[in-house]
Amino acid sequence: MKNNIRVERAIKNMTQEELANQVGVSRQTINTIESNKYIPSTLLALKIARVFGKPVEDIFSLDETDLK
Amino acid sequence: MSTNYLFPYKTRWLGLILILVHIPVKLWWDARYPGGYDHNIPYVEGEVTPLFSPPHLFYIATTLMVLVGLFLIAFSKEKIEDEQIAQLRLDSLRWAIYLNYAILLFSLIFTQGGNSKHFLTLNIWLPLLFFILRFQWVLYRLNRSAKPE
Repeated sequence: MKNNIRVERAIKNMTQEELANQVGVSRQTINTIESNKYIPSTLLALKIARVFGKPVEDIFSLDETDLK
Repeated sequence: MSTNYLFPYKTRWLGLILILVHIPVKLWWDARYPGGYDHNIPYVEGEVTPLFSPPHLFYIATTLMVLVGLFLIAFSKEKIEDEQIAQLRLDSLRWAIYLNYAILLFSLIFTQGGNSKHFLTLNIWLPLLFFILRFQWVLYRLNRSAKPE
């Protein structure tokens, strides 16, 4: 699964720490999601999308390896 | 979020204190009863150890104190207990159970009689200890990989 959290954060001029606080996780978790090491739960994905004011599909998308 | 049945964050310090406190207790007991007891379950073949006799009290003051200490350390929350931490916790717990049963199977095959008792003693704290070590190790790796921006 891919995501563009890093881009969205840059648009909003927001640090990992600030995003983490808003969705109630640690900064490390935001970091591992951004570097595609950790796949968030649906709940967390929805919370992150809400912070950016966009539908979840605009932030997260499937990549080819997920479709196999 | 769902309930996760963990102890509060600060409980880990209580656990650590229990483990540290058991050291002077053990030393004091060794001085009082030279060549006395080890950390084993107070069980002698063909004998009944009376409740709250010196060996039994020693067992409570050392083995059980360490056990409760390890338990509190293992199952206290992290500062921010989020879903990734929960996943790492579960993963470490799985490895601890694997290792525990590997050792148990090994001991069932290769030991007999009294020696099995030592493995039972080992079984009391080994899964908890391995879980704590493995969990702390993955947390350390997680923190190291997530460098500050």
